[in-house]
Amino acid sequence: MKLRTRLAVTLGLATVSVLVLLGWAQSRFQARVRVDALVEAAVHRMESGGRERCEADPQGWPGDHPRRSGLRKHTRRHPLGERQVFAYDSSLESLNPKSPPFPKELAQQLEAGNRVARTRSFDRRRAEIAIRMPWNEGPCAVVLLRAKGPPPLFSGAVLIPAFWISIMVIIIALLAAGPIVRRVRQLTEAVGKIDRGLDQPIHVDGSDEIADLGRAFEQSRKTIQTQLESLREREAALRNYIANTTHDVMLPLSVLQGHLVSLQQRLEAGDTLDAKAMVPSIEESQYLGSLLHNLNAAARLEAGAGLGHRDPIDLSRLVERVVDRHRPIAKRKQVALELALPEDPIQFEGDLTLLEQAFSNVVQNAVRYNHAGGHIAVILDGDDEAWSLRIVDDGPGIAESDRARVLAPSFRGGDARTRHPHGMGLGLHIASDVAKRHGIALALSETEGGGLTVSFAHPDQTGRDT
Amino acid sequence: MPNRILLVEDDVALGQQVVETLSQAGFDPHWLRDGDSAREVDPDGYRLIILDLMLPGTYGMDLLKRYRLKSEVPVLILSARDDTSDKIRGLKLGADDYVTKPFFPEELLARIQACLRRPNLVETRNLAVGAIQIDLERREARTPTGALSLTPVEFEILALLARRKGAAVTRDAIVDAVLDPANEGSRRTLDVHISRLRSKLGDAAAQLETVWGIGYRLADTS
Repeated sequence: MKLRTRLAVTLGLATVSVLVLLGWAQSRFQARVRVDALVEAAVHRMESGGRERCEADPQGWPGDHPRRSGLRKHTRRHPLGERQVFAYDSSLESLNPKSPPFPKELAQQLEAGNRVARTRSFDRRRAEIAIRMPWNEGPCAVVLLRAKGPPPLFSGAVLIPAFWISIMVIIIALLAAGPIVRRVRQLTEAVGKIDRGLDQPIHVDGSDEIADLGRAFEQSRKTIQTQLESLREREAALRNYIANTTHDVMLPLSVLQGHLVSLQQRLEAGDTLDAKAMVPSIEESQYLGSLLHNLNAAARLEAGAGLGHRDPIDLSRLVERVVDRHRPIAKRKQVALELALPEDPIQFEGDLTLLEQAFSNVVQNAVRYNHAGGHIAVILDGDDEAWSLRIVDDGPGIAESDRARVLAPSFRGGDARTRHPHGMGLGLHIASDVAKRHGIALALSETEGGGLTVSFAHPDQTGRDT
Repeated sequence: MPNRILLVEDDVALGQQVVETLSQAGFDPHWLRDGDSAREVDPDGYRLIILDLMLPGTYGMDLLKRYRLKSEVPVLILSARDDTSDKIRGLKLGADDYVTKPFFPEELLARIQACLRRPNLVETRNLAVGAIQIDLERREARTPTGALSLTPVEFEILALLARRKGAAVTRDAIVDAVLDPANEGSRRTLDVHISRLRSKLGDAAAQLETVWGIGYRLADTS
């Protein structure tokens, strides 16, 4: 059911109910008032000549003419209708043979001491009233009035006006509901625009509740739009991550496969292989693992502006772990990888995984691009307040002109993803980003005698002295 | 018990590899493949426990909690997930260290050795590093060939390196700890002291290694 119809029907039903209730109350009240008036009139008439006429001819009173009885016949419609009058003595016996036996119900009421007694009937089609006269003696001590009752409550007299009034109320309600319905339709249309896209604003003019509802919808739309955009971004980042991961993993995997196939062919050809022949394959497999860790770190760094975790970290143990991770490859490559830790462990608050990955990337690069007989020294020094981590190598180094570029904060660019941009890959970009987010200064410099020195220093004093 | 190591790892290939590595390194590995059976073991029956987190049955983290309730045995987590919260939670629950997969067997052994080394806080009166014996109280050092006649600075350098046997110590750390910066405290002076110390060590001089880019180390050849 439409809102307008529902409103009209509701108001109509309410009106009918109220009118019927009022009609019933009015009917009861009027009947009571009329009965009282009739009683007073009867007493008055009997006192002003009616008694004498009755007592003079008790067998014939009141006769056929109500007028002679002293009780004027009403010509207009009365709630009690046309009346009949009968006289009785104090023992409720009538000398007029036409008089009906005195009703028992009324007799009981009079005997109970009431001056006026009346019958109670639900349909009110017949009403009887007995009045004990003030003199209470002689043949006309009690007068019985008998009349047709008022119209019943649910008669046309009550219901028809109620019906018409209700119809009017319904029509008025239908007309009055128009503006509200229009407002609701306006809101519906505004909300319906969302089907064409969440960027369609929901706007409803005005300052009423419908406008408030419209504003609430608009707020919800904005929230949903923001969340949806965030989800889309994440989805795009995930797709990008998967695509990049697939690409980046395929490359070293191909190289690894190439190494293994080459080894197999050499074995098939009867070549004798020494242990060194396996080193490139082992190195490539480590690169693969590291690459996946880096891609994971890159995805985390791209997804969130801040750090997800900041926990107290034993930096000494972390650096030790990083060096232990790269020792096997360094050993196979005949690169000396040495570690120096302070006597007391250094505590630092940060993201364990990202920091480990950042340091690991630098050490890995130092191992990867060093030569047989080369050296790498990893030196952690300082205390909880100020510390530095230096990764010193005597490898090929990075030209001064390229150093700033490999530390560029963004690793979204295609160059950063390539396998060996400036000989370093994704790792240094991640190291740079992680350092920045931890308030750690990262600097590249040339090792004395040749090579690269990468320094992490906390706190970051860069720019403070200038 | 001395070399008994419990490995809780569900992956058969990795488990076999680790068992082989541990055996070759002289350990006695006991391998369990699910969390439920690992619940029943007495952790104190092992020198070290290697625990994978993603296990069928009882989760690795729950095992760690269970072990820590009744034992201080070193626990090394094998983590396949590159997730900080897992590592941090593991460390907070009492794990001594973790190794992220994939790993080289040597890396695992190095971490095991690191776990078994700790804690190394007991200050002893006598230090023995390979052929070199040091009595800290008497301030005497000797090699199999006899007592060494060392200057106070040389003794302090030797003692410092011996206290951290096998670890590389930076030149700066030695200079700061042993030399008086106002007088002879410089890197070059240190090199002179080291050179003299080596000549006094005789056959044991090879233990006093120069570590490229760092400084010196007293290697434990025992």
